[in-house]
Amino acid sequence: MSILSNDHAVELCQSLVQQSPADQTEVTLDCVEDRFVRYACDGPTQNADREKYAVAFRVRIPVDGQLREARATCGTIDPDDMRAAMDRALVLAEHADPVDSDRPMGGPVTIPGSAMERPTQDHTFREKGAWIVEAQAAAHRAGLLSAGLVQTTVLSKTLVNSAGRVAHGAQARASFSMTAYEGGGSGVTASSETVHASVDRLDVPSAIRQTVERAAKARHPEPIDPGEYTVVLMPQAVSALLLGMSYAGFGAQEYHESRSPLCGRVGERLFPDGLCLMDDVRHELYPGIPFDGEGSPTLRTDLLRHGAFTGPVTDAHWAARLGLTNTGHGHSQPSPRGPEPRHLVLAPGHQSTEQLIAGVENGLLVSQFHYTNLMEPREMVFTGMTRGGTFRIEGGRVTRPVHNLRFTQSWVQALTRVRGIGNQLHVAGALFGGEVLCPSLRIDGFRFTSTTAF
Amino acid sequence: MQQLAQLAVEEALRAGADYADARIVRLSQEQLGVRNGKLSMADAPEEFGLGVRVMKQGCWGFAAAPGLPSDLADVVPGVARRAYKAARDLGPARRTPIQLAAEAGHVGEYHTPIQIDPFRVSLRDKVDLLRRAEAAVHVRSEVVAGESMLGLRREEQWQASSEGASLHQVLVRVGAHVTATASAHGHVETRSHPAYGGQYLSGGWEHIEAMQLVETAPRMGEEAAALCSAPPCPTGEFTMILGGSQLALQIHESVGHPTEADRIFDHEIDFAGSSFVRPEMVGTHRYGSDQVTLEANSQLAHGLDTRGWDDEGVPSQRWPIVDKGILKGLLTDREWASGAGDERSRGSSRAEGWYNPPIVRITNLSLLPGGWDLQALLADTEDGALLVDGIRTWSIDQRRLNFQFTCQAAWEVQDGKPGRLYRQPTYQGSTPAFWAGCDAVCSPEHFQVFGVPNCGKGNPYQIAEMSHGAAPARFRGVSFIH
Repeated sequence: MSILSNDHAVELCQSLVQQSPADQTEVTLDCVEDRFVRYACDGPTQNADREKYAVAFRVRIPVDGQLREARATCGTIDPDDMRAAMDRALVLAEHADPVDSDRPMGGPVTIPGSAMERPTQDHTFREKGAWIVEAQAAAHRAGLLSAGLVQTTVLSKTLVNSAGRVAHGAQARASFSMTAYEGGGSGVTASSETVHASVDRLDVPSAIRQTVERAAKARHPEPIDPGEYTVVLMPQAVSALLLGMSYAGFGAQEYHESRSPLCGRVGERLFPDGLCLMDDVRHELYPGIPFDGEGSPTLRTDLLRHGAFTGPVTDAHWAARLGLTNTGHGHSQPSPRGPEPRHLVLAPGHQSTEQLIAGVENGLLVSQFHYTNLMEPREMVFTGMTRGGTFRIEGGRVTRPVHNLRFTQSWVQALTRVRGIGNQLHVAGALFGGEVLCPSLRIDGFRFTSTTAF
Repeated sequence: MQQLAQLAVEEALRAGADYADARIVRLSQEQLGVRNGKLSMADAPEEFGLGVRVMKQGCWGFAAAPGLPSDLADVVPGVARRAYKAARDLGPARRTPIQLAAEAGHVGEYHTPIQIDPFRVSLRDKVDLLRRAEAAVHVRSEVVAGESMLGLRREEQWQASSEGASLHQVLVRVGAHVTATASAHGHVETRSHPAYGGQYLSGGWEHIEAMQLVETAPRMGEEAAALCSAPPCPTGEFTMILGGSQLALQIHESVGHPTEADRIFDHEIDFAGSSFVRPEMVGTHRYGSDQVTLEANSQLAHGLDTRGWDDEGVPSQRWPIVDKGILKGLLTDREWASGAGDERSRGSSRAEGWYNPPIVRITNLSLLPGGWDLQALLADTEDGALLVDGIRTWSIDQRRLNFQFTCQAAWEVQDGKPGRLYRQPTYQGSTPAFWAGCDAVCSPEHFQVFGVPNCGKGNPYQIAEMSHGAAPARFRGVSFIH
């Protein structure tokens, strides 16, 4: 059993802080338990029943009359191993720069409660295997194959420092994902995922049904010319857009260094009135750990209010430097990375996805984006591919599947062209990590620059 | 430690496993970074743990837990039994049993050859080097961010298997870079040396010394600032001479991943994607022009995936992937060797640390050099062609056909020399057509090995390291876009 109880974890961190010879010490303990099964056409292919710890020491010591800080981590809770990590941090700190005098380690805070989900923690391999059998049978009935992942993870995070800060939080994540596809390398696929803190709340039958139905409709895709199209982006596609913005535009460091397209535009109405974007770690649909890498409470923070940029997220350093509130979005320190939003929520609108589609005379329904990457930070130009079913919309109806397309598109420009927002929030993630809560979007003039033959 | 790995195997067999292997891994790292004059990153992570993989009636089971030499003996039995239980409980969901290609139980030691142990170089010297390199990029007012970074990694692992494998390996990898980011005229431009995100190699501190970070840093600052004022790269169809670091990424994305056997057999289709390559193409499919010969080599000098054995205990090998343009081989593990038409695994099975089960991975994969001197190649190339290098961003479709790369800089070829500078060259194409357009590869004197320290694959996501050797090469009819 890897996860330590709240009291045990806090006591362990407090004892480590007390043992430290440094002037200021911060100890962070992460505990993770994870079980996953990956499957493909012939059944389970990989799996793991695993656990790990990460204990991090951030120390500040005086050198030539000035405090300097560094960090070191270890992967066990063995006393000797942790002591060695603390010693490494102390050695590293001797070579560091003086810390900012106005940025002492933060003191006591009140952290809202958070908890793991016992059903998620206890979910077995047999139960995961049963879902896989269901997915494969449903795909088989439709003449398709299936692949995907079933995963249950619980984790806790505890942070204690010598200034009296104590923060403890826990989180659970359960997911079932399925890709249904044609054999023989045709390239026809469709994917769905259901994610929730509690494994009991996963809607696996719906995910299986939707995936198989979409894959069946995606067969025999037709060629399509690149160009600008009105698109309806399903939540998984919207997640790629939002996650791209989360690391390239909404942090105080990029903002200050003129690397964000939002520089100097606080209060400006940049996007349509209906766009409201916030970072909300305590959202009831998918709560996370409610404090950041320095133990500062992560505040619910508006980023776009009725289309206007309301300001960047901050951490202790950037809040002090820019005279802003610390929103608690920092990484573990010291770090070259600035603060970033980590729990984006795009507020839902008033139309169903079907209504969004009905408003499109000639456009595309995009299920998912693949391998999205930033080309130009000032305009947030991204490129990537469509994936998992791309369909023509004609006369307000989804009519036929088309080949996948590559987009080269400014996300900022795309948001200015939002013409409709779906009314249902989904937990959606993109390739290479990260998840957001978002609805479907209708966007005009979305630029596709090339196509594939599948 | 070897005995503990063996104990884990025995415990799994005692529980009822048909096959078992175990890896104990100790990972020590040092990560230092300077950003705008400050030591912004100073971390020294260490981890130590055990991963046990078993097979029961053709189904894998894997379990992993952290531990220390002092208490690992207590951890071993439980981890082995959990791995067995996973295989047993998931077996009924398995349609066809997994069959492994035969492999002898190898016994041996491998240590990365190093001249200077990077962990014995004083911290003061390392930090001083990074400070001087970072300071040296600030040669122009347009430079808004300077960064220098150093990463050291020592991975020691002990492997055992129920087939008699008993292996001990110590793999040492080092990497560094200095980067200038400039902002002016509404543009943000970056130049990095020796490569985007760092040049990583297996070996010791001698590689860091050879990188000349401090000496090259001012040029990075000058070029980043100059790029802010440079015109955008023209669009249309051009002849392109591609520099080594970007060519390494091109090899990685459009040859390495498409020839991974698990992708070809759709076992990665739900996440990273599949491949346009089908098993029956091996031996006949034209992947590129006659100039294109690509060799997989897990014995490559200074390669990041240069080792004695892979994570299934299969010895390192060297074999052709593409020979004079024809697809000749695939990257396989023991599970996929027979599907690829091989009797033995190619030894391309890797896991990130102790925490993950092994999966098929690209090993070191290089475009073998041709006969052109770079100056002669430039002189042979028409005016208006583009010399392109420096990774900026990349994207490729789920079957590894349609790609689009944006690089840091392009120079127009004029009178046989690099001339006018352009910013943000973005080229796109389709894998077979692109490699078919290669009509010249530079000679061994220009060949360089570039490391990829952060290749992501698998679901859940794992990171692996590998290298790609390349000399600059010329490609005809390349499409550039904005």
